[in-house]
Amino acid sequence: MVQKNIRNFCIIAHIDHGKSTLADRILEATGALNQREMTDQVLDSMDLERERGITIKLKAVRLIYRAHNGEEYVLNLIDTPGHVDFSYEVSRSLAACEGALLVIDASQGVEAQTLANLYLALEHDLEIIPVINKIDLPNADPDRVKKELKDIGLPADDAVLVSARTGQGIEQVLQAIVERIPPPNGDPEAPTRALIFDSHYDRYRGAVAYARIMEGSIKRGDVIQMMSTGRKFEVTDLGVLQPGFTPVDRLGPGEVGCIMASMKDVRDTRVGDTITTADRPAAEPLPGYRPAKPMVYCGLYPVVNEEYTLLRDALDKLQLNDAALTYEAESSAALGFGFRCGFLGLLHLEIVQERLEREFDLNLITTAPSVVYRVVLKDGTVKEIDNPTALPPVTKIEHIEEPFVRATILVPDEFIGAVMEVCQERRGTFITMEYLTPERARLEYELPLAEILMDFFDRLKSRTKGYASLDYEFLGYKESDVVKLDILLNGNPVDALSIIVHRDKAVARGRALAEKLKEVIPRQQFEVPIQAAIGSKIIARETVRALRKDVLAKCYGGDVSRKKKLLERQKEGKKRMKSLGNVEVPQEAFMAILKVD
Amino acid sequence: MGVYVHIPFCEQKCSYCDFHSIVVGEVGVFSDLVDSYLLSLRREALYYKPLWGGRTIHSLFLGGGTPNLVPPERLAALLAFLREELPCSGELEITIEANPHSLTPEGARVLAAAGVNRVSLGAQAFQDELLQAIGRLHRAEHISQAVHNVRRAGIKNINLDLMFGLPGQSLEQWQDTLRQALALKPTHLSCYALTLEPETPLARWVEAGFAALPGEEEQVEMYQLARGLLRAAGYEHYEISNFALPGWRCRHNLLYWRNEPFIGLGSGAAGFIGGRRYLNVPDVQGYILSWEKGSPLYEEYAELSRDEEMDETMMLGMRLLEGVDEEAFRRRFQVGFSEVYQGAIAELKAKELVEEAQGCLRVTERGLLLENRVSAAFLR
Repeated sequence: MVQKNIRNFCIIAHIDHGKSTLADRILEATGALNQREMTDQVLDSMDLERERGITIKLKAVRLIYRAHNGEEYVLNLIDTPGHVDFSYEVSRSLAACEGALLVIDASQGVEAQTLANLYLALEHDLEIIPVINKIDLPNADPDRVKKELKDIGLPADDAVLVSARTGQGIEQVLQAIVERIPPPNGDPEAPTRALIFDSHYDRYRGAVAYARIMEGSIKRGDVIQMMSTGRKFEVTDLGVLQPGFTPVDRLGPGEVGCIMASMKDVRDTRVGDTITTADRPAAEPLPGYRPAKPMVYCGLYPVVNEEYTLLRDALDKLQLNDAALTYEAESSAALGFGFRCGFLGLLHLEIVQERLEREFDLNLITTAPSVVYRVVLKDGTVKEIDNPTALPPVTKIEHIEEPFVRATILVPDEFIGAVMEVCQERRGTFITMEYLTPERARLEYELPLAEILMDFFDRLKSRTKGYASLDYEFLGYKESDVVKLDILLNGNPVDALSIIVHRDKAVARGRALAEKLKEVIPRQQFEVPIQAAIGSKIIARETVRALRKDVLAKCYGGDVSRKKKLLERQKEGKKRMKSLGNVEVPQEAFMAILKVD
Repeated sequence: MGVYVHIPFCEQKCSYCDFHSIVVGEVGVFSDLVDSYLLSLRREALYYKPLWGGRTIHSLFLGGGTPNLVPPERLAALLAFLREELPCSGELEITIEANPHSLTPEGARVLAAAGVNRVSLGAQAFQDELLQAIGRLHRAEHISQAVHNVRRAGIKNINLDLMFGLPGQSLEQWQDTLRQALALKPTHLSCYALTLEPETPLARWVEAGFAALPGEEEQVEMYQLARGLLRAAGYEHYEISNFALPGWRCRHNLLYWRNEPFIGLGSGAAGFIGGRRYLNVPDVQGYILSWEKGSPLYEEYAELSRDEEMDETMMLGMRLLEGVDEEAFRRRFQVGFSEVYQGAIAELKAKELVEEAQGCLRVTERGLLLENRVSAAFLR
């Protein structure tokens, strides 16, 4: 492969600005989509092949494009995840590229993620090609968008106008990629360094690494070494996705492909790690590697204790394909045996929870998500606490620190006041504000991560009629006056309902939580008092009245199957409840804290 | 064995009722429809005849709808047909449901002559304003007249259906209803809590705020008042909503609660025979058409497994205050319920919802009001 004819690029955009439609059009225009369809058909007819074949995820596609100068180019389109939880993964994908298409919706304009992605791309010295999409829509306003682009320092006049829906402008995009994005450089003779930007687990081949060769080369049969762990593997298969898997013998500098080497799980192919060759290892890894670090923790418990081992096996399986997921066994007085799980963010948590329930048919209780608090004890030791119940006694604590983020919010100027209110309610500290255009402002706030977990984005959206867009990055730890809030049901503290909150908010949260629990806990045969307490001080109290009557007046011949259906529905609901002492508590009670103001 | 015959005709729909019935102004106009319907009932009865298998019928029940809207002579003819064709016991209980205002002395006599020996009157309440509020056509005075007419015709076994928890009903009104009902000395009393069925006019009125039902606590009080007054008057409380003088329990309904086989004839009627439950289509025309073709048209049909039959036996039996008899259960299923439902029973006992007495498992005072919880525990 002639290095000067390779272009590595990615597409970055705010959500819904048309990233995947543009990718589809580019695949189509270069003939890759037809090939994919063909490959599918071929594979379908060869069951054996398919069974021992590998599952392909389109993490990176190699496209062949004949440019106007008559030369053939290899365009590697590298996929980037689209959510703030995965910003580290995004940064690794960007590091594998020389250029980026920055897609902006012609009617929406620049949004928070547009900016966040742009800054990330600029940090990696990428050539930016602004692409203004959806120009066919009646409310498209490319001139306004160009002005916004100028305001954020981009060469707006060079923006390509496209409609990914109709295909208009796609050829110009391809031409711009060839002309404006520089070819990769990298010494083919240097010791090998390849950047892993993605990976996945295949049950026949083990972990598959998606990598960009920076220097040197990788051949089939090479013994490779992961620079973060030193572990060595023999390359069994090497290939590129066009988009069907096409084996190659060698990947050289600037090339992008997938590498299979009988690696057990994705912990062997960590995103951001550097692959080198064992016989002539590189002296230094590529910069920027950082092991995935969970930001959010919660407890996952089976509703019925018998499902504990099933849950453990399911987590084992998910972890094969998810290097960011961590878990360790824990137990709760209320919920029995379960796992404390760590996630990159709330979305990541929800994805894992949903997969466990859907793919593994588990009935789960998820406790309220918690950030990691840093507790400095009087004896000078520091403890990281990701579970409120693990908080040491107050008398031993010198102070507690909680994680803060820098949140960037873009919003039309009429909602600036609303955004400020929401941020202040959430203990935010104003950092800066600037106008991108006379109508659009960009606000920066320092916010506790714990507040972002509490339904922050939904609240922001609802207060700004859906116009606000949000992005955030981790800033660091700061001392904070937080306390543990306990909930007592029927006089008994329920450890799984404890939360850590800021002292100023404790009473309001305690009250709101007690009220919310009153709503979600069904009436029982007896009265159930709900109390919120800080230490031994009760700060709120609600009561679930006793159920007095649950009986059908009539049950004759025709009512039998009706009654049975009714009872089965009731029973189905009960299955999803956890019995705490003698109180039946539904699953949503444990997440109730997320739903209160 | 029992036979239920559904008569899906009404003069007017009560505002709380969600049964399928055809509203007929004057039956005469609809006599063709009624004739076709009665003919279909006969066809259906004959269809199930081969399944009888030597069993004897102890009860015939004409329910509705409003059975006494059909001219008594035609009902008499239907009864004669059924009694001739089906293997009826010599001591057959034949019940007819009737509206108080439309049961004439002549009608009662014809029915008595046809073998009807039990009449269940839809009395509901003794306050005209309440009767009107729920869309009943009769007035309080009709109730005693109807009881009188039935007795004059020689029928001693009389039930009064009463309702509590009606919109605007006070505890005093309910007490008055119970007193007036007792004064008529019926052999049997059914006291039903009003159930708000979705899609009924009453449910909509309540939703819209035009009508308000007594609260849960008040309904519980009304129920306990009925139990106290009726038991003091010598009635046995034998099923959640049913009371009878000793020896006068409703044989037909006991069949349901003991989960014994019965066939249901007519549109919307349910049956349980040969381990299968069926529910006929509710639509009268559809029902008639199906029998013109000679076969049933089911809305629902289910073949019960042995386990399901056990579950249902418990679910229904726990409605009876005497409970479910362990030996009877063992005779039927070759296994005792204490073995099958060991865990469930232990849990219910711990919650003080059930207790054991005289070889039976039965609901406690507390379990009586939470009977759904008890029944649900027996569904596997």
